[in-house]
Amino acid sequence: MLRLIGQRLISLIPLLFIVSVLTFSFTALLPGDPVDLIIGDEGTAEQYEMVRERLGMNVPIVTRYFQWLGRAAQGDLGTSFFNSVPVMDAVMQRLPVTISLTAVSALIAVIVGMAAGIAAALNPRSWIDRLATFGATLGQAIPNFWFGILLVAFFAVSLRWFPATGFTPISTSPWEWLRSVTLPALALGLSSSAAIARQVRSAMVGVLQQDYIRAARAQGLSRRRVVFKHVLKNALIPVVAVLSFQITILLGGALIVEQVFAINGLGSLAISAVRQQDIPMIQGIVLVSVFIVVAIQLTTDMIYGFLNPKARPS
Amino acid sequence: MKTATNKTHNASMLAVAIPASTILILLVIVSIGAEWIAPYDPLKQSLREALQSPSPAHWLGTDNLGRDVLSRLIFGGRIALISSLEATLIAVVLGVPLGLFIGYRGGWWDWAVMRLVEAVVSIPGIMVAIVIIAILGPGLHRAMIALGILYSTAFLRLARSVVLAEREEVYVKAARVIGASSNRILLRHILPNIAPPLIIQVTLTIGAVLLAEAGLSFVGLGVQPPGASWGTMLNTAATYMALNAFLAVPPGLAIVITVLSVNLLGDVLRDSVGRGIAISVKPTTPTAKFAESTTTSQPKADDILHIQGLQVVVNSKDGSEFPVITDLSFSIKKGETLGLVGESGCGKTITGLSILGLIGTGGRVTHGTINLNNTELTSFSTQQMEQIRGDEVAMVFQDPTTSLNPAFTVGDQIAEVLRVKQGMTKKQAWARAVELIDRVGITRPAERAKAYPHELSGGMAQRIAIARALSCNPKLLIADEPTTALDVTIQQEILDLFRDLQDEFGMAILFVTHDLAVAADICDRVCVMYAGELVEMANVDELFAAPRHPYTAGLLSAMPHASDRKPPLPTIKGTVPVPKLWPTGCRFSERCDYSQKACEQLITLTGTTSQVRCIRANEINMGASI
Repeated sequence: MLRLIGQRLISLIPLLFIVSVLTFSFTALLPGDPVDLIIGDEGTAEQYEMVRERLGMNVPIVTRYFQWLGRAAQGDLGTSFFNSVPVMDAVMQRLPVTISLTAVSALIAVIVGMAAGIAAALNPRSWIDRLATFGATLGQAIPNFWFGILLVAFFAVSLRWFPATGFTPISTSPWEWLRSVTLPALALGLSSSAAIARQVRSAMVGVLQQDYIRAARAQGLSRRRVVFKHVLKNALIPVVAVLSFQITILLGGALIVEQVFAINGLGSLAISAVRQQDIPMIQGIVLVSVFIVVAIQLTTDMIYGFLNPKARPS
Repeated sequence: MKTATNKTHNASMLAVAIPASTILILLVIVSIGAEWIAPYDPLKQSLREALQSPSPAHWLGTDNLGRDVLSRLIFGGRIALISSLEATLIAVVLGVPLGLFIGYRGGWWDWAVMRLVEAVVSIPGIMVAIVIIAILGPGLHRAMIALGILYSTAFLRLARSVVLAEREEVYVKAARVIGASSNRILLRHILPNIAPPLIIQVTLTIGAVLLAEAGLSFVGLGVQPPGASWGTMLNTAATYMALNAFLAVPPGLAIVITVLSVNLLGDVLRDSVGRGIAISVKPTTPTAKFAESTTTSQPKADDILHIQGLQVVVNSKDGSEFPVITDLSFSIKKGETLGLVGESGCGKTITGLSILGLIGTGGRVTHGTINLNNTELTSFSTQQMEQIRGDEVAMVFQDPTTSLNPAFTVGDQIAEVLRVKQGMTKKQAWARAVELIDRVGITRPAERAKAYPHELSGGMAQRIAIARALSCNPKLLIADEPTTALDVTIQQEILDLFRDLQDEFGMAILFVTHDLAVAADICDRVCVMYAGELVEMANVDELFAAPRHPYTAGLLSAMPHASDRKPPLPTIKGTVPVPKLWPTGCRFSERCDYSQKACEQLITLTGTTSQVRCIRANEINMGASI
């Protein structure tokens, strides 16, 4: 297992390098001069030079990249162009919100998707199967933010079971946190549940037809045991492979769903940064998200290696 | 069976495809004619009429600025259509040529571009779009360029994989061998191969872009107010939710219905690609009658298995049932090895599975009895069968590489049976599993027990499967072509192993094989099956010395002999008829040199210790073939 982790870490180096270069090069690609953005229309030539100097824009771009990378490696992502807040602080303040939303919705997606997929695969062509397949197709066509609006209209505005907006950190009150995170997580998890259900169903149907399932039954092992041990472990292999991809999608989707519930996560930070062309902020958000995605991929790779002995390096 | 499946499948595909394409065509028509169809100007404000519910004047009500929701919905549809086509077109134009190029060039170009693609894909899609919008600035067309760039990675990978797959094709390799330019050949074959997956990817992308565009417009990075798009309409709806919740319904439903139609159409396309066009042929209804057993015999005292008048039917996809085994009777004595021989498709494996009650949901036993060790199995419940399986009767399958679970170690798979069936502790079960692995002739058993099936050779995996089957000391072992998937040199070792184990464990063996040489080697008696019925049964020496059924004779003469090098090897003309087309009379008659008019009637099995199902068995001399 250690070797697998090592191999994966090494293969991540080119990826992280490319992402850092891409992220850094936004500065060069942006139209207009960021210095003009900062000093505004009334800035003098001296102010202009001062800001240029402060931003380190007088040194060659390659040098600037390595300076930026070196600082980023130490957790210094620069300061916002607009309110001089360190980017790292701003991102770290918002990150737990987005992560808890993503994590809860991923949990919902896995539970709902697995349950629906297993039920459908065990009863092929039954009404359960038809319902699950139809639900999965529908679930993938419903925009998560619209589903969020419907949930708010029904469960928050009409029934008043949940707050319509806002987010309570888990450290403040676990119960209030759960109340505040439920609706957005449901809205966000819907389409991933559908995708996972489809994947689980087709993987299970495939595994159920395998010789080794019939052989296990021929040994007198019960259907329940065979399904939940022998079938599931094999069927989970392709499911885990899509899971990291689904979590990446959830992380992106969270940025939009947060807007429905007026949750101050990474989404509103990113959107306002884009509107203000706050380059260090955008760079910081992208870098941090990529780190999270990479961490998720590593974790799912470990699970994949545990489930699939063929994937382990020998 | 196949044609019937295709027919029902096509019908259900059309039931999806027709409404889906109708909706999309309607959307196109409404979008083109938006100016004429929409009752109001989508931007015309009228604050006195703000936030109205649906009424005859405003069918879907008005929004916060008194704008007509229906008109905005129609113009929003135009935006949705144009923008999704725009982004998809950008994605195709960027992705396909680049994918083809790196597929051709390979090497450094391929490596670099693919790493770039991986990097882009590892960032959440919406975030990539947001970053590109940060560079280009907000706005519909800029957002679509962003989505186009984002989704071009999917087309790039698709085009690349088609080129790479095509490179490996035999004709391309052949062209390379004779020195022709493989690139020219590649080009000629790319287009037909890339078209079907490309069309599917286009539908997937259109659906995804529609959703993404709505999302970006919703958060204000796509279509800018006051422009009407489904996403911006939902933004308004979210703001005024408490005042007029209905505002969220029309644009949301419009998105769902459109995306659903596109996705369903994509599913239908994906299903139909590769399936080809179904040829519709009327399914033949079976009219043949089947011989009912004339005598009912009781199991003898030393019979471990006694099958009497067994008939098994399976479902065809159109709901009807047809028999695959009819009037099958035989018994196996304690410690005996009975061979079940015949060509593929004669019902040998189904016979083995019906003893275990594992035919599956597609089939069932309709007639006859299966008596195992004085217990009648056909009336057993699933739980009762689970008790019997493993303990009383076990099975070894044809391909050891597929009959062992790839996700568990081989020792674990044997130990699990011991724990569940024999109630052993984890430790005991593991120790016994290692012992069994040692017993089936595998060296270093403790180490090999920790191996996964893919780490073992075929012969070794089959030994493991045998060890597992024997773990609970069953009285009957069903061996379904256990040597067929193995190398010839290994086959003999496995046969010897069966013989040794039989001496030690004393179980009876039902040995299913199509290979008469194997049957001659290991069996005491042989049952020959043809087209779902027993045609001859005799002691092995008798059967090989004097076959009485023309089919047995045919099988014997088709066996190659080392001493006999006279070509050509005789074969039986024709093939085994499929179950639905069995004739009423002798099922072998179409392939038989001796068939007569009388063979068209029901033929019964005759004889006691040795039996044959042929009316001419006594008059013709098939001759000894060995």
